[in-house]
Amino acid sequence: MTLALFYIFAAVLVFGALRVITAKNPVHAVLWLILSFFTSACLWILLKAEFLAVSLVVIYVGAVMVLFLFVVMMLDINFEELRKGFWKFFPVAAVVAAIMMVEMVLVLTNRYAQIPGAELVEQAPTVQDLGRLIYIDYFLPFQLSAVLLLVGMIAAIGLTIRKRKNTKYQSPGEQIAVKAADRVRVLKMAADAPLEAPAAPAADAGEQKPQA
Amino acid sequence: MLESYFPVLLFLVVGLLVGVAPLVLGWGVGKVLGTVRPDPEKLSPYECGFEPSADARIQFDVRYYLVAILFILFDLEVAFLVPWAVVLKEIGLFGFISMMIFLAILVVGFIYEWMKGALEWE
Amino acid sequence: MIPTSLNAWVATPEIFLLCSACIVLLFDLFVSDARKQVTYLLTLLVLALTAVLTIQSLQQGLALSASGVSAARFAFNHMYVADPVADFAKLGMLLGVALVLIYGRSYAIDRGIFKGELFTLTLFSLLGMMVMASATNFLTLYVGLELLSLAIYALVALPRGNVRASEAAMKYFVLGALASGMLLYGLSMLYGATGSLDVYEVSARIAQAQFNPMLLTFGMVFVVTGIGFKLGAVPFHMWVPDVYEGSPTLLAQLIGSAPKLAAFVFVLRLLGEAMGQFGPLWGEMLKYIAILSLVIGNLAAIAQTNIKRMLAYSTISHMGFLLLGVMTHSEIGYAAAFFYAMTYVITAAASFGLIMLLSRNGFECENIADFKGLNKRSPWFAGMMLMVMFSMAGIPAFVGFFAKLSVLRALVDSGLTWLAVVAIVFSLIGAFYYLRVVKVMYFDEPEGELLAPAGELDAKLLLSLNCLLLLVLGVFPNQLLTSLSHAVNLTMAGSAGMMLQ
Repeated sequence: MTLALFYIFAAVLVFGALRVITAKNPVHAVLWLILSFFTSACLWILLKAEFLAVSLVVIYVGAVMVLFLFVVMMLDINFEELRKGFWKFFPVAAVVAAIMMVEMVLVLTNRYAQIPGAELVEQAPTVQDLGRLIYIDYFLPFQLSAVLLLVGMIAAIGLTIRKRKNTKYQSPGEQIAVKAADRVRVLKMAADAPLEAPAAPAADAGEQKPQA
Repeated sequence: MLESYFPVLLFLVVGLLVGVAPLVLGWGVGKVLGTVRPDPEKLSPYECGFEPSADARIQFDVRYYLVAILFILFDLEVAFLVPWAVVLKEIGLFGFISMMIFLAILVVGFIYEWMKGALEWE
Repeated sequence: MIPTSLNAWVATPEIFLLCSACIVLLFDLFVSDARKQVTYLLTLLVLALTAVLTIQSLQQGLALSASGVSAARFAFNHMYVADPVADFAKLGMLLGVALVLIYGRSYAIDRGIFKGELFTLTLFSLLGMMVMASATNFLTLYVGLELLSLAIYALVALPRGNVRASEAAMKYFVLGALASGMLLYGLSMLYGATGSLDVYEVSARIAQAQFNPMLLTFGMVFVVTGIGFKLGAVPFHMWVPDVYEGSPTLLAQLIGSAPKLAAFVFVLRLLGEAMGQFGPLWGEMLKYIAILSLVIGNLAAIAQTNIKRMLAYSTISHMGFLLLGVMTHSEIGYAAAFFYAMTYVITAAASFGLIMLLSRNGFECENIADFKGLNKRSPWFAGMMLMVMFSMAGIPAFVGFFAKLSVLRALVDSGLTWLAVVAIVFSLIGAFYYLRVVKVMYFDEPEGELLAPAGELDAKLLLSLNCLLLLVLGVFPNQLLTSLSHAVNLTMAGSAGMMLQ
């Protein structure tokens, strides 16, 4: 049963991955990638790595793919143009892939088949085991990963944020805080005097340029 | 071990049904009851009543990207919170403090992005 | 459930740096753009205080070893170590980073990158380097490396209007991510082969033959590849010239100086300590990487007309030299490589500092032709540049000569005389392009208007001191070399002792 499921998921995964690189429309490629991630999550469930599977779905499928879609849609470039290089680079990519595959096969089928690391996986760590390890034993890498996220934030903000000097926006706070005196100017003038230059319209407190 | 995922499977199946059944139903009912009389105007893509004037692929404002990446970063933070919540009783005070330091570092980032105006949408 | 070996106080310099980086980050929000000098001064203060804490840690380590105890103090459940090698490397990094900020101040102001992000990201990249220097666990090593890299990718892209900088950041990011992938793949294989992520544990399991040789070998290949990428050694050097040329000079200095020290300690821990048993095997790999780096780096540098590209190829050849020291897998070799990396930080800082000093708003002094007749404009800075070039070329009485000499000595000691001869031949070829810069400065007529060096007085003063230091260290290298080799000996003895347990 498990073996059959494995082959089904593996086949879907390989097919999905192939379609990622062969799809004509980049948006389709992203959707195929989502399928690939989802199937890998299924494979991880088979390996009893539930937490990893769930985080793969939540983080990669849920968040990273949204970003990918944004990026793909944001890139206003001709994708046909990009595609031209595909066959030119194909041989190099194929050689690299072949080497990787041969290595994997060699590693997994060699006569010293005992792999110490794999024995630890056999014990099927659960979320509880992970929790016990991450926050206590792996205290330092855990905190450093927070710093890494912080650097990610600084970098993203530093690279993308720009202040627009010319955007107009409503500021409800200022709209509410406006006083009658700001809006209406009562002019005292003699009723019989000739009209002077028209009074400047009071500044509209609702719509104004952002400070700075 | 796989049996324990049965509720998940059930959930997936029900979810798929809820998504697919109305489509199939609507299509099927339309097939039986409806009449099909196509003409070029009916089959053409509809874009606010006008002929399509430009490519659908336009440049998005980079701010969408910023929002997406900030979302990912906090999403990752949540992923770290899950195993912690599961074993909070076992890991005791140290585990609690450990997570508080983690959160404090991210709160620094949150204050930073708030003050920088990265969460504003002018 | 407090881990018995938390010992957080051992990591005081890093903890202090992290806290103060966060404070600088938040403080900077309240500083107006016109007054970023305040943030700048605060950043320098943080660097100085971190240096003080590191020196304390160093003294403590040396005192411990003098009293017969191991100088290595572990923390965070054996994932962090403070030993003299780490502390010396951290001091070098702190100096390198401080020099970047001081030399680059007016350059950054002119180019509109004198912003809060410049300081905070630099501090975080420094934190990454310091963590790398102290990591004894593959996971910590990797996270430190990523912290360093991520901050630097963002820094390179900081001048947003600059297309070349964006392109450089893109190239750096893509190849850096590829290298990280390789490294991580290799580390996962090492974990698979030995069942541990701890440097000493891995080394012990290898010694007790509890590992999978095939998996370990493949893992090692990937790790060496990843290291090659990060160091910028041939054949993984393609990104170096483009990144140096495209990024703002200030950040080329940051990339080219302090991280080399972090990379050296990284190599020492990963290959020297964890996989010391396989010294001959990875030594063979490093040997070819080193020879290729010397050949390609020196030959390609001759053809360059852009001085930043020339310095990039020169970095490649210097990394070749550094790897020659490491590949002997002997204490004297590591000490030579450590000395090489340490002095390279100072030399690279001086060379980029001089380039920035001669640039000004709207003019990048980056072609060798821009140095024409520098002697007529400013004999003092022509003299300084001469010293830097002489030191890089390895001319006697300058520190570069002594660094090269100690590597060669290590090679000869390991019976690799032919390799030493190859290294000498290519150093001689390399001397050609360094001396060409000198010739251009002294014997060519200046073109166009005569521009005197710009920059603030403090930067000029420090730059002069920096260049003089090259001479001073060249004449009296023994103090530094002895300290560094003592530190290396302690670390290697410590890791041997760890294995016996």
